[in-house]
Amino acid sequence: MTTTALELTSVTKTFGGLVSLDALSLSVNEREVLSVIGPNGAGKTTFFNIITGVYQPDSGDVLLYGTSITGMTPDRVARMGVARTFQNVRLFLNLTVRENITAAMYGRTKSNLLDTLFGTPRARRERRENEDRMLDALSFFGTRLQGYRLDQPAYSLSYANRRRLEIARAMATGARVLLLDEPAAGMNPAETHEITEIIGRLRSERDYTIVVIEHDMHVVEGVSDRVIALDHGVKIAEGSFDSLATDPSVIEAYLGRGSAAKK
Amino acid sequence: MSEQDQVGRGIGTDDWVAQHEDRVGAPQTGMARLAQQWTRLPALARWGIPLVIFLSVPFIGSSDYILRIGVNLGLFVLLALGLNLVVGYSGLLDLGFVAFYGFGAYAYAMLSSEQFGVHLNSLVALVIVISTTASFGFILGLPSRRLTGDYLAIATLFFGQMFAVFVVSSDEFQLPGMSDTVDLTGGANGITQVDQISVLGFTFETNLSYYLLVVALVVFFTVATKRIHFSRHGLAWRSLGEDAVAAQHMTIPTVRLKLLAFTIGAGVAGLAGAIFASVQQGVYPSEFMLPLLITIYAALILGGLGSIPGILLGAFIMVVLPEVLRFPDYSNGIFLAVLVISVVATVKSWKVLVWAFGGMVVIGFLVNGVLLAMQVPYLAAKEWITGPLAPVLGSWVFMPENRVLFGNIAFVALVGLAAWMSIMSRRSRIIVLPLALWLAIWTWEVRLLLEPSVTRQLLIGALLIVLMASRPQGLLGKPRVEVL
Repeated sequence: MTTTALELTSVTKTFGGLVSLDALSLSVNEREVLSVIGPNGAGKTTFFNIITGVYQPDSGDVLLYGTSITGMTPDRVARMGVARTFQNVRLFLNLTVRENITAAMYGRTKSNLLDTLFGTPRARRERRENEDRMLDALSFFGTRLQGYRLDQPAYSLSYANRRRLEIARAMATGARVLLLDEPAAGMNPAETHEITEIIGRLRSERDYTIVVIEHDMHVVEGVSDRVIALDHGVKIAEGSFDSLATDPSVIEAYLGRGSAAKK
Repeated sequence: MSEQDQVGRGIGTDDWVAQHEDRVGAPQTGMARLAQQWTRLPALARWGIPLVIFLSVPFIGSSDYILRIGVNLGLFVLLALGLNLVVGYSGLLDLGFVAFYGFGAYAYAMLSSEQFGVHLNSLVALVIVISTTASFGFILGLPSRRLTGDYLAIATLFFGQMFAVFVVSSDEFQLPGMSDTVDLTGGANGITQVDQISVLGFTFETNLSYYLLVVALVVFFTVATKRIHFSRHGLAWRSLGEDAVAAQHMTIPTVRLKLLAFTIGAGVAGLAGAIFASVQQGVYPSEFMLPLLITIYAALILGGLGSIPGILLGAFIMVVLPEVLRFPDYSNGIFLAVLVISVVATVKSWKVLVWAFGGMVVIGFLVNGVLLAMQVPYLAAKEWITGPLAPVLGSWVFMPENRVLFGNIAFVALVGLAAWMSIMSRRSRIIVLPLALWLAIWTWEVRLLLEPSVTRQLLIGALLIVLMASRPQGLLGKPRVEVL
């Protein structure tokens, strides 16, 4: 039996006269990898911003495991179990790798300032647990972000490592649903291949439910259980990668009217 | 030894890798070597040595004057540590911060003086002062929910200025519905004869007792800040300062943390203010205005935002240096030392150094000779200089009788020359360097030394410019990096 992890019911979002999402309904099953594709301006990132609470929908509802998370601020959404990465990597650049990940555990720890000042058992226990969780999240990426790199500031990392760190940071929040905004953007073919594999392992080894926005069709083909195509805020197609790749409305959205016929 | 050691730093091996594998070369200059030795000391020694020095100050024949500077320094450090939570960690530009210091001082004064005839128990008064100041911090933090950067700075600056105006003009405060005016703050005269803090029967009266109290508080807040730095809240504040949007997406309730930073920062400032009012047994409006705010910011930036030892060092420099510069003999020595050090630090070749300083000496004697031959009226050395530098400078610097006129001309010439040098080619800059050096010293001796209160500020300003140009991240700060 499959459980629905994330569900949008007829979500509409407009900016002034521009309709960014138009009555979008979709659901993501637990442990599913769903890809969202669409040309620039299709509303993909707005879709993420609606889920994480950056924007409030004009109408419609966002449900996480049946509970409405509409109207919650991003920090509460994250604590409810949805974490994201950003299209243009947004790490805490002057914090170390260790600090970047530990900072994201704010929502799952409880120490207050007095605990910190007096080093109470709670503060010490949480510190130990955070250390374990941090190493656990990083171990997912092999040895790349471990050892001496733990104390390196994030700005000194390579671009690909920054992207990996951002995923590790999202994992550290304790979320069960990960929203990855163009995880392969700006990566070389080898790194793109690795990201594809990482997304697969996030699901198979760590049981995450994953929504990916991606332009690289190799990645989309490699990771997706299901693909949704958006254009002008409307879901124009949904199904397996193969069915979408030949769908006339998708080709039209990307290449313009008449392109499908010529092909 | 690996193969890479002999080849040097390999391609794709960054500074961090090199440092990890101890492949970064040994520091070349003496200062850097000293700094390296210092960082190798155990943490206990690095913190203990300064503490022992500060604790021993009162017992090695120091005067009340020195203790008083020590108290001011301690209060200043408290302010800087409080502001660091808001600015250094959370990245919120709070320009209303001194208002909390002033508010704490005034609140304490009102609760323990003849102003309203109230003489509360000091502990009760302190609790009230700290909690009300913290509440004001909370209120001032409210705009930070929406405002960031420049906009927050303007809003908080307004609050700071409002406090200053309120304090000066509230000696005739009219409550709504009452015909008589009330003297709330004593106006420009402030509130005098404030009770001194008295805890459990012990009254803080001497400068020594205040000094020790302040040292204890500084130790407490330094340890607290150090503990907070890597803690849950510290990390949350620092990530907030790095990228508030990303922080909020990573489970951090940004609004709550911003308000918490403002509240705690204000509470610390309130405590410092209350102690300040008690030390000098009075509060005066002029002490809580913009210059103090600028000095605190200067200390934070000079030391390195967010670095705890940096804050302490920055505060020390900003408080002690102006005091040292009160004495012309010292300021003369410091000026010359800064000049020589900055030239030596920026000029790398020995030949240029010899040319610069040799040329400078020659120009000095030449000018001396020419002006003497022209029979310009002058002052003998013993009439204008004392102290250890007298024999050196007395015969080299030509001191005209009309110091103001000559000094003003020299000053304008110096500024013009400096501006011109900044657009010269490297070669011609080296050629003019001896002249510029001589002119700088001459201007200093002839004109600036005449008015120490002005030169003091000029010298500190110049020092800050030189330091910031060479180390933008502050003395002990780590360079902050923005990746494009």
